[in-house]
Amino acid sequence: MGIPGPRGLYDRVEKVAGPRAREVTHSDEFAQAASVVAGLNQFVRSRINRVAAKAWHTVNLPAGTDVQRLNNRLGELDRQVRLLALELERERARGRAGNQSSKDAD
Amino acid sequence: MASIPGSGTLDRVRKEVERNALRARNGIAMATGLKRTDVGLTPKDTVWRSGRAELWRYRSDDVSLKPPLLIIYSLFNKSYILDLRPGNSVIEKLVEAGFDVYMIDWGVPDERDAANTLEDYVDYYIPACIDRIQELSGTDEINLFGYCFGGTLAMLHAAHHPESPLRSLTVLTTPADLQQCGPMTEMMARTDLEDVIGKDGLVPPGVIMQGFRTLEPVGEVTTRVDLVEKLWNDEFVTSYQAMTGWATDQVPLPGGVARQFKKLVVENGFLEDRVYLDGDRVRMKDITVPFMHVLGLRDHIIPEPAASPLVDLVGSEDRQELRLDAGHVGLMLGRTAHKSTLPKVIDFLKQRSEPIS
Repeated sequence: MGIPGPRGLYDRVEKVAGPRAREVTHSDEFAQAASVVAGLNQFVRSRINRVAAKAWHTVNLPAGTDVQRLNNRLGELDRQVRLLALELERERARGRAGNQSSKDAD
Repeated sequence: MASIPGSGTLDRVRKEVERNALRARNGIAMATGLKRTDVGLTPKDTVWRSGRAELWRYRSDDVSLKPPLLIIYSLFNKSYILDLRPGNSVIEKLVEAGFDVYMIDWGVPDERDAANTLEDYVDYYIPACIDRIQELSGTDEINLFGYCFGGTLAMLHAAHHPESPLRSLTVLTTPADLQQCGPMTEMMARTDLEDVIGKDGLVPPGVIMQGFRTLEPVGEVTTRVDLVEKLWNDEFVTSYQAMTGWATDQVPLPGGVARQFKKLVVENGFLEDRVYLDGDRVRMKDITVPFMHVLGLRDHIIPEPAASPLVDLVGSEDRQELRLDAGHVGLMLGRTAHKSTLPKVIDFLKQRSEPIS
């Protein structure tokens, strides 16, 4: 058996490490840990945002979170208009089809 | 006395020196951004749009089959994987086969899409696109084709709208048992989604990408080792750039869809027949059009145990499952796709189409 080159060496390491790493990421413990990390991350982010918002509000200015909230509300409104437009277009198409079929019947 | 190396050894050395020079050239070109790979090159026209969603019609002078074919792409990444490179493109093959091909591209969601729900796609966008196709092509029916989560959307549409003018339904690598999808759905089930949904109401693309990485944790390193080894090969570098570019080109997922999808995962909605849209119970058994599901036996994103129950959920008498020795992307790109998947999908669709007189 010859001495493996860099690729051969990597393949050997991967053959051992790959299934083990896969075992770890596919375990219940990993899923649980990921969920805890996501929760912690969110907790820290919300604390930072709260402090930043307080600072902006003391000088009577809107915080980033206020702007984001407004953006989200505008986004929701945009979605409702979009869906209404699609519904309207559909009704129009149905109306056109109905007119056409009654013309054909005449 | 030192021996003189043979000509074979000298050839090997010369070849390796040449390859190293090419490696250096390609490496510098990649690092400086001089070497870029264009994707999604099949000529097309945008024939409908609403918000970020667009309906594309691929240009062809040789459409010989009807009804038209509508492709629904997933919400998790970008659609150009189906039209990656000339010669390695699903779209190109379907156009060449004589179909009038349309595809819905969902675009890149932003705050305006944060509250989007599955109903938006299944009950509004897809029907609107079907209406537009009927208007443009002048046909009563269409063949529907969904890839990955696009397959889920296609199935939900077909089940929730049995009156939809579908001639057939083809889905590729679409999950049925959502609790067999591996760590990604496992983490989704355990995590409070509000912890990962950003301030803009979307699941950030980085979170989705990390989720995909957990499926094959050393896969990315192996890909990079492959690149270093084959950096001298221009063809390899081009397809590497196209593929890895796509794999890291994730889009955010609307929070509304993520919440509904989590509920489907926790309740294993498809298997347990607990799918609700707009208050209606949606049963896969209500799908009665000719149906085909193509799954990959080496698919690590939608593994075989997650995908295989799908065919038995639908009510179609004419239904079939095609199992191929390929991975998630390999079903659509590369050798397996060109030898097995695409000819069989095209054959299925041709049998459900007729020549344009």
